[in-house]
Amino acid sequence: METKTLTKKRANYINPYFGGILLGLLLIAVFYIAGRGLSATGALKLAVVAIVDTITPEHAENNPYYSKFLVNDGEHSLLFNWLVFGALGTFFGGMLSGAFHGRIGKLRIEKGPNISKKTRLFAAAIGGILFGVGSQFGRGCSSGAALSGTSAFSFGGLIVMALMFGVGYLFAYFFRKLWI
Amino acid sequence: MKEELFVSGRDIPYIDPYLNIWHWEIPVYLFLGGLAAGIMFFAGYFTIMRKEKEMKATVVYAPFLVPFALVLGLIALFLDLKHQLYFWRLYTTIRFESPMSWGAWTLMLVTPLSMIWVASYMKEVFPRWDWKFKFLDKIIDFFIEYRKPMAWAMMILAVILGVYTGILLSAFNARPLWNTSILGPLFLVSGMSTGLAAIIWMSKSKYERKVLSRLDLIFIAVELFLIIHLFMGFLAASEVQIEAAQLFLGGEFTVIFWVFVIILGLIFPAILEILELRGFHIPIWIPSLLILIGGFMFRYVMVEAGQITRYLY
Repeated sequence: METKTLTKKRANYINPYFGGILLGLLLIAVFYIAGRGLSATGALKLAVVAIVDTITPEHAENNPYYSKFLVNDGEHSLLFNWLVFGALGTFFGGMLSGAFHGRIGKLRIEKGPNISKKTRLFAAAIGGILFGVGSQFGRGCSSGAALSGTSAFSFGGLIVMALMFGVGYLFAYFFRKLWI
Repeated sequence: MKEELFVSGRDIPYIDPYLNIWHWEIPVYLFLGGLAAGIMFFAGYFTIMRKEKEMKATVVYAPFLVPFALVLGLIALFLDLKHQLYFWRLYTTIRFESPMSWGAWTLMLVTPLSMIWVASYMKEVFPRWDWKFKFLDKIIDFFIEYRKPMAWAMMILAVILGVYTGILLSAFNARPLWNTSILGPLFLVSGMSTGLAAIIWMSKSKYERKVLSRLDLIFIAVELFLIIHLFMGFLAASEVQIEAAQLFLGGEFTVIFWVFVIILGLIFPAILEILELRGFHIPIWIPSLLILIGGFMFRYVMVEAGQITRYLY
């Protein structure tokens, strides 16, 4: 009885295998258009650098990590980057897909049935922080390292992907209560 | 020979080598003026069509934004003035050949008219509203009786206001990007579209949103048509116009114009509106907000880019 209601409530998505093929084709297109692979965290990283550069430009320039991303051509902001526009497109494209498949409803927090909204947001924040740190260790997130990296036969990307999903699989057991 | 003194007729700060006189104030004003014109036009139109009951947000609620938009816009215009204390001199003369004179006088008429319109609906929106003085009540009653003529005046003045925001720029003969007669209609249509977006955002009635979304789609289509013709006109004209168009076709304004104005400000919201009309669930504020941002970006880009374009080299 309960499973029935669950499937009824489940949002509408396309077939994951078909989605995977589409994603692969998208990657080819991205390599062709932008000359580089996809990245999701890259835009956020640039946003962080832009904020630091606005508040304390000196610190941003002296910091060896931030300074790599600074653009000083006097014409464009460092946010004038394909990653940022890619992220914008992802947002609006995702919205279009959500609209097509009827997933857009009221603003809500999606969570497991046995946790509070607070716990969900807290867990999401912790997860996000770990993901941010991890993506810098791995030189890319699931898009940058796993998708773009492996599509270019990068061994590092392969290791990142294998461990990211492998460790996720292992740890899922310990954090299962967050979702079921 | 050693020249020590150099005389040049081109030492004109802020004008040569390129115009550098208008900053954020002007696009803000152009945007708010267009928005106000759009809302007022449709408030007038649906009043004349006797649709006040079905189109509540259009006729009653959205016009409450207009006085605020106009006053904020006028403040922006005032901030832009060099000799601020002499602004009243615009009202000592009427010059039919000057767009600024047209604009100043239109604003002089339209701002109080929008306030009167709002005042006439005050008691309907806020049932507990009390005008305190008897004579005010009587004046308001008088205007309530004459809403139809007011609606006509609003519609006509809204068109003048909307066109004038474009003509203001196109009257600059020395700026090739602005000096085109398409700019007037283009700014008018864009203003109508932003006005509709604001009303759609405020409306709670499905019927009203449907009517307005359909209208908005027409305006977006016309706007795209005019933009295409704007560029076709430039590319078929002389070298300076071609160079003006190149700013948007590979030059420094290419990305901001195509991404934020054309794609996110016109095409994408149009797709969302079509989806909504077809029964898909779309949060209504998203297309509206995108159209409003796109409308502002359009004016910002036009003002910024127009100042760079020039005849003299």
